[in-house]
Amino acid sequence: MRSRKYSPLLLELLAICLALLILIPFFMIFINSFKDIRESALFGLSLPSNWVFSNYEEVFNQDNLLRGFKNSFMLSALVVVSVNLFASMAAFVIQRRGGKFLQGVYLAFIMGLIVPVSIVPTIRLMDLLHIKGSYLSIIMYYTAVLLPFAVFLLVGFIKSVPRELDEAAILEGCGYFRLYFKIILPLISTVLVTVSIVVIVSVWNDFFGPFYLVTDSTKWTIVLQVFNFVTLYSTNWGVVFAFMIVVITPVLVIYLFLQRYIIDGLTAGSVKG
Amino acid sequence: MERSKYPLYFSFPAVIVFLLFFIAPTVIGIYYSFTDWNINADAIKFIGLENYKELFNEPRLKQAFINTLIFAAAVTLLQNAVGLALALLLNEKLKLRNLLRMIFFMPYVIAPLVIGYIFRAIYHPEHGIVNQFFGLLGIDFMVQDWLNDPRFALFTVIMTDIWRVAGFSMVVYLAGLQFIPKDLTESASIDGAGYWTRFKHVVFPLLAPAFTVNVLLAMIGSMKVFEIVMVLTEGGPGYTTEVFYTYIRNTFSSGEMGYATAINMLLFVLVTLVGIPVLLAMKKREVEM
Repeated sequence: MRSRKYSPLLLELLAICLALLILIPFFMIFINSFKDIRESALFGLSLPSNWVFSNYEEVFNQDNLLRGFKNSFMLSALVVVSVNLFASMAAFVIQRRGGKFLQGVYLAFIMGLIVPVSIVPTIRLMDLLHIKGSYLSIIMYYTAVLLPFAVFLLVGFIKSVPRELDEAAILEGCGYFRLYFKIILPLISTVLVTVSIVVIVSVWNDFFGPFYLVTDSTKWTIVLQVFNFVTLYSTNWGVVFAFMIVVITPVLVIYLFLQRYIIDGLTAGSVKG
Repeated sequence: MERSKYPLYFSFPAVIVFLLFFIAPTVIGIYYSFTDWNINADAIKFIGLENYKELFNEPRLKQAFINTLIFAAAVTLLQNAVGLALALLLNEKLKLRNLLRMIFFMPYVIAPLVIGYIFRAIYHPEHGIVNQFFGLLGIDFMVQDWLNDPRFALFTVIMTDIWRVAGFSMVVYLAGLQFIPKDLTESASIDGAGYWTRFKHVVFPLLAPAFTVNVLLAMIGSMKVFEIVMVLTEGGPGYTTEVFYTYIRNTFSSGEMGYATAINMLLFVLVTLVGIPVLLAMKKREVEM
């Protein structure tokens, strides 16, 4: 669709201006993270009148920072494993076997894509199960919340894996576990990458789940640490911004390198679904 | 090969986790919404419809309900309008296309909580760059207390969320645009169709699937908004930006768990009612299993 009225240069310029709208907020916190307590409270875009690196020193001296990263990393990794494993096994038989029960299961998962979690009763449930506030409780919570999406995506994809492969393998005397692990899993590995990306981004950035379910501050994720840090340091924006820069930089660096996979992964459900 | 030979138990881990940690809380939530469950009391007592009676007399619930719907409608509309406009812009042969795509999508990978804090600084009435910018241009009526003025607070929260999610819609529309054959728009162009006519009669109908998905996702997602509102306004000033999830959080924080559960139940009903058409649409897209 070429338009004759506008030159490509003008459109390019317009697009760049819009992109600045996205970039300036990030630049604002970046530049203010090097300012002292007084100057950073002005939230300006100018360079610091004198560069203050001690903001970062203060941030790195926080035990909570490393602990937060460690918790986020560990939770993301474990939820990736549980969601991929449980969802792919379920999707495999939902698609291959069908039947009333599994149709019902599939419908329940699709409902789970839509309805909101009942978070307050979830706290009660964790209490009744004696796992309140534990890593296990939050892993199970995330797994339950992310399963619907993963199952939905995987069922759609397993359709494209020909049944003849199963038949050949079974005729050769291969069991269903081996069929699933050795033949199906490798064939759907690209979708598992997609699922993993969605899981990692969701868990890493989530505030809602751990805010309600985890009371012990040593188990807080990095996003909860941001929340806590802002509450404590809201008088010194320079340090707060430095903390945020430290928190978002790893995400942005990974995004920069894997942008194609991340963008494709996060929109996969809507583009192919 | 017989379908029934596939082992049913493969689905059990997923089914058990989902049943226990998603469905069960919802079900026991129905019960707890009929109780006086409170953090300060040891015993939980069944009180029938008391919570709901109290809720429906509470103007705050009405506010949360209306604000959630306004927020969802505005975000759905604007996210799609902006996303589509960006997609059409990037679909022109721009040199920086890939870089721009990456930049516009970037806010989507950052925690909404962090974005909320960044924008709290940006909307600062005196020093925030929004007001600084309008002040510099001399557009004084645009210099406002964006977050604390009841007239603008909800609007400001909506705009912030658009900033965050427009890139997502853009990518989905861009993917849809890739499927539109170039000769189709070119031949329409040769036939003398202008940009708008081509868009209306050729491009937009072909974007229908992307449009459906975008609208549905935006609708469902925006009704569950939480972090952005919590950080920017905490539901205030007054209750002018209160949405369901901030209402739940505030009640939860004061220890009224049974009451918070009742609010959660109402949100559940609301989202389910809006979500049924979604479910039907998805069923339609599904090929036989």
